[in-house]
Amino acid sequence: MCKGFYWQIWFPLEESFAQSYNFHSYHQTYNMMTDFPIVMKGIEFSPDEFEPLPNPRLSFPHLQVDERDFIMNINHVASFRVRDGNHVCIHPHENADSASIQLFLNGSILGAVLHQQRILPFHGCAFEYNGKGILICGHSGTGKSSITAAFCQNGGRFINDDITPVRIKGQGTNIIPIKTKIKLWDDTLLKLKIENENFEKIRPTINKFYLPARESSSAELHLYHLIILGKHNKDGFEGNKLNGMVKYNALRNQIYRKMYLKGMPETEKTYFKQLFKLASTVRVTQILRPDICDIYETMNCIKKEIDR
Amino acid sequence: MKNIVWLVSYPKSGNTWFRMFLSNYLKNTAEPVSLEEIESTPIASNAVDFEEVIGLNPFELTAEEVDFYRPNMYRILSQKVEMEGETSYKKTHDAYTLNAKDEPLFPEEITRGAVYFVRNPLDVCVSFANHSTKEIQNTFTLLLNEKASLAGNKSGQLRQMLMSWKSHVQSWREQTLIPIHMVRYEDMLQSPIATFGSVITFLGLEYDKARLEKAIINSDFKLLQQMEQKNGFNEKMQKCKNFFWKGTIGTYREYLSEEQVKRIVDYNYDAMKEFGYIDEQGMLTV
Repeated sequence: MCKGFYWQIWFPLEESFAQSYNFHSYHQTYNMMTDFPIVMKGIEFSPDEFEPLPNPRLSFPHLQVDERDFIMNINHVASFRVRDGNHVCIHPHENADSASIQLFLNGSILGAVLHQQRILPFHGCAFEYNGKGILICGHSGTGKSSITAAFCQNGGRFINDDITPVRIKGQGTNIIPIKTKIKLWDDTLLKLKIENENFEKIRPTINKFYLPARESSSAELHLYHLIILGKHNKDGFEGNKLNGMVKYNALRNQIYRKMYLKGMPETEKTYFKQLFKLASTVRVTQILRPDICDIYETMNCIKKEIDR
Repeated sequence: MKNIVWLVSYPKSGNTWFRMFLSNYLKNTAEPVSLEEIESTPIASNAVDFEEVIGLNPFELTAEEVDFYRPNMYRILSQKVEMEGETSYKKTHDAYTLNAKDEPLFPEEITRGAVYFVRNPLDVCVSFANHSTKEIQNTFTLLLNEKASLAGNKSGQLRQMLMSWKSHVQSWREQTLIPIHMVRYEDMLQSPIATFGSVITFLGLEYDKARLEKAIINSDFKLLQQMEQKNGFNEKMQKCKNFFWKGTIGTYREYLSEEQVKRIVDYNYDAMKEFGYIDEQGMLTV
């Protein structure tokens, strides 16, 4: 158990998972408002560093993972502990800023919560386009957020940035909206002709900003098309519809923080079945874009694939 | 477990060429191995590897914060390599530096050794300008900049501290924790059997002259150029025409001004002399 102050905020839900509102809680000791995109039993702060987990399945100096317990230490920011998919405890490091704590809480730590809840999280941005649920996956730096923002300027409705949980039930596969905020670099704002009206920086030292969402979708939406975006050093675009085991493996590679699963074999087993279902129901296209190219050009290429 | 060998160089100093040689030597097939073979063993500063191993987006960390994690990234890589019972040969352009915790980026306890490829900085300047599709003046400035670094912006690779050409060489030569073998690019071209053979011996691999000769032929620079022409190479920058460009010695004479040559020589004089690019009389050897 964490020591120190504890705020327990309970939202009675049919399912212990995401709703269309965020989880806010204020922590007086640290004068910090945490904003978490999914509902939790509690987010608490601890003045003490966490004791290491006893014999975790996955153990690195900064990370320990078991099926229901997780500790991650982010230098000069905070140590985080996640238990049972419902409790997050934060030990802020000396002089850490709240923006950085918030950023990692809504990134790698959110990933741990989702894995513990066994809700398959993808490393991708989601939006609704012409009534269709679109998910763009890919490594960090491939341009997922920029292209999502471009779609949202052109009739798309924003759903999630960077992490998108997908619910697979029966034959249905739905994007779960968790209302993460879209994050864009300073030069991307310029390219998209978005005036930076004192947007909030994701961290004091990084020139990336939260884009205030004008309109976003709050209901679950059928996942129609999953795009895996990559880059290459050629001048043109390449699109490739995936099938069979290639499709399954490509989907597996898009799991957000897949490495945690080395400490969570039971969770990985449940994902195995979910991924097979997903692979049989969802269109998956791999698109390679030129390393240097226009955001709208990439958007148009993806549009063509969606409409195909 | 000491199972990682660092293949170290300033950019455009023969590192990739050597990786192709090594790949051919290890595979020992009659036909040359394809460029895809080394495309699957990315550079030590690969950002995707970082995120997959460490679990953090490196572009949401400062370069200094990323450096905190890099020693652990390589320790984790070493554990993986140990399970596979192999040795990993990792290309890097990083100078030998310590992170803010005073920890070397390349941990001694997992390192079997390092091979350092050194090339005449005058030729490096020209070849690097071609590779990065920048003006020669840019790479000229970089070679003389003690704070020079590569990548580490918003996508691509992690930040790599290069420093100036001479400091890069010195940083590796003066460290005492990792056994190092220095190789001159010019010797790889002019005395391939002796030079590549010396690396095979340093790496503790079985020395087989016939295999060595075959690997040298199968990684011939002209052959690599043809392979790139035919199938492309993913380590090439998008706007650069060829990764394997000229590969010759003394190309700088066609591109650098006398003033640029003088400035590079003056700044790097001692190191250039040490590696034979300047003779006892203080004259350029090439």
